[in-house]
Amino acid sequence: MGRPRAFDQDATVRAAARLFADRGFEGTSVDDLVTGLAVHRGSLYKVFGSKRGLYLAALRQHLDHEVLPMTAALAAADGPALDLAVAGFDGGPAEGLLLLAAAERAPHDPEVAALVAEGLSALERALGHRSGDPALAPALVAAVLGLRLRARAGGGSGADAVRALTDQLKE
Amino acid sequence: MALVSVANDTLTVEVEGLDRLWAVKSRIEIPLGNVRGATADPGIVREPKGIRAPGTHLPGVIVAGTFHRDGEKVFWDVKNPERAVVIELADAKYTRLVIEVADPRSTVALVEQALRSR
Repeated sequence: MGRPRAFDQDATVRAAARLFADRGFEGTSVDDLVTGLAVHRGSLYKVFGSKRGLYLAALRQHLDHEVLPMTAALAAADGPALDLAVAGFDGGPAEGLLLLAAAERAPHDPEVAALVAEGLSALERALGHRSGDPALAPALVAAVLGLRLRARAGGGSGADAVRALTDQLKE
Repeated sequence: MALVSVANDTLTVEVEGLDRLWAVKSRIEIPLGNVRGATADPGIVREPKGIRAPGTHLPGVIVAGTFHRDGEKVFWDVKNPERAVVIELADAKYTRLVIEVADPRSTVALVEQALRSR
């Protein structure tokens, strides 16, 4: 029998998600993780196998606790779906992790790509459901992602323009 | 410096040159099923290594051989920390391998890709 794991695995994964969301996969070293998560290096390797193993767990956690509940609420909510999506998709403590994963790791890692696709598909279904036109959903997802990216770079929301565009498309 | 290769569902680590003398062991073969992942980790060299048996430890110069600490058995072969890669194992003779390779990024990619395509 090995020694008991001296740390809370869920809390560690949540904290790792915040670090990865802030600095990206490549930008977060094992030193950063050991310091930021206050766990032993050996424990990190023993529990997660590699930095990638921890990253996959962090992305999974972000999907399960932030992205998928948000899209489920979006599908059921009253109010302007696009505004809600632009304001809250890929939000939470590790805000932006999905978007960053899509840009940084998904092109190189099929497992990351699958997790990103899962999050984006959920958003697409919710927006398709709310707009009443599933064929329009991919364009709405693209608009949401673009606006979130722009907001991260300090740009304006532009949600009004997207709403005007979707109104136009529906006519 | 070590050379990492993958063939026939087996990961092979070959310790090159004079490092073989320091590390004592020159070749380690691990079934891919017992490999959990690989990580470039320049900072690991600053961690406590534990008790060496057998091998060589000249702090700041070379860490080579088998080290025991907290019930873990770790194989080391590192001179340049910037090129250290950690290969985590399961149900194997070693808990993990910490080796210096020519190109950490490509070694990590090689191992992770081999694990995915199993």
